[in-house]
Amino acid sequence: MVIPDHADPAGRLIVSRVSLRDFRSYARLDLALRPGIVLVVGPNGAGKTNLLESLHVGTQGFSPRTRVESQLVRFGTEGCRIALHGRRASGVPVDVEVVLRRGEGRRSRLNGAPLQAVEELRRELATLVFTPDRLAVVKGGPLVRRAYFDRTLARLFPARAELSPGYGAALTQRNAALRRVSLGLSTREALAPWTERVVDLGRELVLARRDAVELLSPVFGERASQLGLAAARLAYDGSPPTEEALAARLERDLERGTTGLGPHLDDVSVTAGTRELRLFGSQGEQRLAVLSLLLAEAGLIAERTGEPPLLLLDDVLSELDPDRRRSLAERLRGTGQTLITATSASALPVEADQVLDVTPGLVQERA
Amino acid sequence: MLSPAVDNLVTQLTRLPGVGTRTAQRLAFHLLQRSTEEALALATAIEDVKERVRFCRDCGNLTEEERCAICRDERRDHSLICVVEQPADLISLERTHEYRGLYHVLGGALSPLDGVEPEHLRIDELFKRVERNGVQEVVLATNPNMTGEATAAYLADRLRGRARVTRLASGLPVGGDLEYADEVTLGRALTGRRDMEP
Repeated sequence: MVIPDHADPAGRLIVSRVSLRDFRSYARLDLALRPGIVLVVGPNGAGKTNLLESLHVGTQGFSPRTRVESQLVRFGTEGCRIALHGRRASGVPVDVEVVLRRGEGRRSRLNGAPLQAVEELRRELATLVFTPDRLAVVKGGPLVRRAYFDRTLARLFPARAELSPGYGAALTQRNAALRRVSLGLSTREALAPWTERVVDLGRELVLARRDAVELLSPVFGERASQLGLAAARLAYDGSPPTEEALAARLERDLERGTTGLGPHLDDVSVTAGTRELRLFGSQGEQRLAVLSLLLAEAGLIAERTGEPPLLLLDDVLSELDPDRRRSLAERLRGTGQTLITATSASALPVEADQVLDVTPGLVQERA
Repeated sequence: MLSPAVDNLVTQLTRLPGVGTRTAQRLAFHLLQRSTEEALALATAIEDVKERVRFCRDCGNLTEEERCAICRDERRDHSLICVVEQPADLISLERTHEYRGLYHVLGGALSPLDGVEPEHLRIDELFKRVERNGVQEVVLATNPNMTGEATAAYLADRLRGRARVTRLASGLPVGGDLEYADEVTLGRALTGRRDMEP
């Protein structure tokens, strides 16, 4: 591929201005941000997480904390507005505006032009977020992990983003067909096209997941070892569903009214050495694993798109020892822009590029 | 709140696809403000449609006769049938002026979730037509979505050996810019790429 010389392969989006109106605890906030590591410091409940959340809504169109949009609007007001101004390294400015009004949904503009759906923002701007409840990706059940890795695969291979929801839709139809057959409302012949869909999409989904895990695993291992978690790797052992395999268990599937085989039952294992971290990892190791996954994905997105994603790390430092905090900070230094929260500035052993002091409703840059 | 008659009109309008309560109210007030003649013209049009229009005996298209104009047209290729979900799809294909065969309107797509089974669509009629009339080729033009694809697969399985079965291609819209194509469409277009004619 020919890269024109005005394009910077390490091009990156840096958010330089955030402007909030009536978002969560902020009645009004106009804030300048610097590239690199931005340390957001303040006591519990001051509004650090709200600030990170506003950047997520501003770049992705939705909140990682809640699906209830009215929660984002400051109490007693009718709507909120988030405006971001940034610049790609190529010099191209980026302006985003997201407006939420109670009962009216979301509206957004990118560089002044209205977007049909807020979801379109995700295609333009990449943001990865760590919150303490992300630990479930390692600690929780296979359902959480499948959802996580399918979202990762959608970000890494946008053309294959529809595979997971598509497979889910085909599966729902096949399960409905199974139940209708056993109730005598339908025939096995009418089940066949759905089995075919499940097999086709299932095969593509398994292959896409294999590709994604294969791509992620070595980078994940590398990041994990830099953070002090040795021999970490990912493994996906799903195999494509076949018509024969589904035919062989058709009677059982009819009886249960659900498809008992396929990528909707697969899992991705996260191990360190021979230990499965879900079962045998300590809380700290699980946290390192989730963080390494995030860093691995950030690295791959940067490599594939030339733009490192914006990183929002909420409450990540509290359970890491000083050595690990230092390695994390060193990792983050080379990348685009990272906002990281802490209750005191001393939590980060290296000097941040910017320190923001948060008190309720107010954010100030420390001189 | 309003008169029962207005309430009833609003309720009836809300049943139309894509019409919410607000729009229904706006339409109702609009009708109230028009002259009686104008408003009744709409009522008559609806009555006429329900009385006169029926489905073509052969293809399921809308018609005022027993068979639709397309099925009656002897200049069209009667050995070629294009299968669509709805009459609206047929209209789109007709606008191309490229297709000279006949149609078959299924009346929907298979969807076990919504309880739509093969016997709820005009599928048997399609098989009978293919059998009876020496049809050479069936073009499956159901929508390129989950239910449309499954319906196409179901039909293809059953038509194989009886006629040539083809499916509409997926790809980029003509006259558009690559820049504006979504990743899934572009991905499909890449997979289905062809050699350039010399």
